Amino acid sequence: MTAVLRTEGIKKAYGGVQALNGAGISVDEGTIAGLIGPNGSGKTTLFNVITGYDRADEGQVHFAGQVITNAAPDKVFAAGLGRTFQLTRIFPRLTVLENMLVAAQHKRDQRHTVRRRAMELLEFVGIDRHAGLLAGSLSYGQRKLLELAYVLVADPAVILLDEPAGGVNPTLINLIADRIRELNSQGKTFLIVEHNMEFVMGLCSTITVLESGAAVVSGPPEMIRSDKRVLDAYLGADLEEEEPDE
Amino acid sequence: MARELIHAIVDGILTGGVYALMAVGLTLIFGVLDIINIAQGVLVILGAYLSYSLSTRAHIDLFTGLLITIPVMFIIGVVIHWAFIRRLRGTERTSMTLLVTYAVALIIEGVLYKVYGADDVQLQASYTTSSVHIFGFYLPWIFIYGFIVAVCLVVALYLLLYRTRLGRSVRATMQDENAARLVGIEVNRVAALTFGIGVAVTAVGGMFFGATNAFNPNSGYDLISRLLAIIILGGLGSIGGALAASVFMLTLESVVTIWQPTWAIAVFYAALVLVLLIRPTGFLGRKAVRAQ
Repeated sequence: MTAVLRTEGIKKAYGGVQALNGAGISVDEGTIAGLIGPNGSGKTTLFNVITGYDRADEGQVHFAGQVITNAAPDKVFAAGLGRTFQLTRIFPRLTVLENMLVAAQHKRDQRHTVRRRAMELLEFVGIDRHAGLLAGSLSYGQRKLLELAYVLVADPAVILLDEPAGGVNPTLINLIADRIRELNSQGKTFLIVEHNMEFVMGLCSTITVLESGAAVVSGPPEMIRSDKRVLDAYLGADLEEEEPDE
Repeated sequence: MARELIHAIVDGILTGGVYALMAVGLTLIFGVLDIINIAQGVLVILGAYLSYSLSTRAHIDLFTGLLITIPVMFIIGVVIHWAFIRRLRGTERTSMTLLVTYAVALIIEGVLYKVYGADDVQLQASYTTSSVHIFGFYLPWIFIYGFIVAVCLVVALYLLLYRTRLGRSVRATMQDENAARLVGIEVNRVAALTFGIGVAVTAVGGMFFGATNAFNPNSGYDLISRLLAIIILGGLGSIGGALAASVFMLTLESVVTIWQPTWAIAVFYAALVLVLLIRPTGFLGRKAVRAQ
C-alpha cells in the first residue's frame, strides 16, 4: 500500500522545549491509523505541524504526492486534509445547519444541493434533528459529531481526529467509532490521536507510538500492546503525571 | 404633562430608530474587525454634507439623494479599510486602530472645513419644517420618514446577516476568524465589505442628523460619544443590543429634556454607568470576550 500522508524528521521547539524531535509517521491510504503516546509526547504538535497551524523547524510533510510542509491551514484543508480539534472548533452562535453551510462555503454547487448534502451528513452523525439549534447549545459529544460532519463537508481524503472520544459518554463513543468505520469502508483515511486505548486498539490497523517528540515504534495493535518500549513510555508517563498537558 | 411625556417618548423612539442604524454600523465593524471606528461620528457629518451639497447644488431631494450618498459612503468605507485598516496586524492592532481611525476623523474634518467652512448649516426640505398633528402635538414629517427608512434598512441589514451567504460568513468571522479562514472564507474581503456597510449607514444617519440639527465639521465628536455609549450599553458586537440601547437612550434623553434640558446629556451617560455597574457586558453582551 502507498502512504498518503507521511512526515519525515519533523523538529519543532518552543523556546527551550523540543516538542518534536525527528518525528516520522506514515499513514497508508484507506487505513485507520492511530497515534498514541504519553502527555507531552508531541501528538497535538505533530497534528498542528501537519495541518499548518505550527511551523516545523526542520523536516517535511508529504501528502498525496506533494510536499505540504508549512503550508497555510486553509491550503492544507483545501488540499483534502481535514482535521478536528481536541477542543471542538465550531461556531457556537451559528445554528448547527449554518455551521455546515459555512463549511461548504468554497463549493460552487447549487444552494439546495449544498443544503441537502449538509442535512445528509448531519443525519449520518445522528444530529440532524438539532439542525436548527445554536451549535453552542449542543452537548460536548454532539459538538464532536458536528465537527466530524463539518469536516466531511469538504470531502477530505484524509481526516485527522484529535481526541474524538475525549470527554464523550460511552454511547456516543460507540457511535463515533461506528461512523469512522463506515467512512473508512467508503475509502476515507484516518489518523487518530486518542488517549482511550480501547477505542484506538479496536479501531486502528496501525498504531504509532510517539515519545519525547519522536516515533519509537509503529505496528498493528497486537504488537503495540506487547511492546516493551510502549510499556516503558506509558510507565514513564505515570511517574511524570504532573507535567503540563500538551 | 402626560401629553408632553407621550410627545417625548414618541420623539425618542423615532430618533432612536435612526441612531440605531448608525450604531448597528459601528457595532458590526467592531464585531467583525475588532476595532472601534472613531471616525464613525465624522463620517455621519460627511454624509450630512454630501446630502447638503446634493440638495443645494443639484436640487436633489434629501431622500432621493440617499440613493447616491449610501453607495458613495460605502465606497469611502471600503477605501478607508483598504488604505488604513487592512495594514494593521499584530497584538497592538486594536489600540492602533483607535489612533488610526481618529486620524481618519481628523483628516475628514479638515477636508470638510476646507470645503464647507466652519459655519453651521442645516438641511432644508418641505418635510423638515412641515409637521403632522397627532395626539395633540406636532411632529415634523422628517422624524417619521427618517424612522421608516432607518427601520427598513435595519431590517435589510438583519436579512443580509441572517439569510445570506455573505451574512453567514460575516457572523462566522465575528466568532472565530481563524476557523473562518480555515473553511475558505476570504476574511479580508468580508472585513472590507463589513467596513463598507458599517460606513454606508452613516449616509442615512447623516441626512437625518443634518435635517434635525444644525451642524458643522466639528459636530462628529458629540455623535461618536453617543454612539459609543449606545453600543457599549447594548453589548459590544451585539446588533439587537444596539437597537435596544439606541431607543432606550434616546427616549430617556428626550424624556429628561422635558423636565430639565441641561441634564439630558448627563443622564444619558449616567444611565450608561448605572447599567454597566449592574450588567458589565451591556444589555445583550456576551459573557466573555470572544472565544479564542
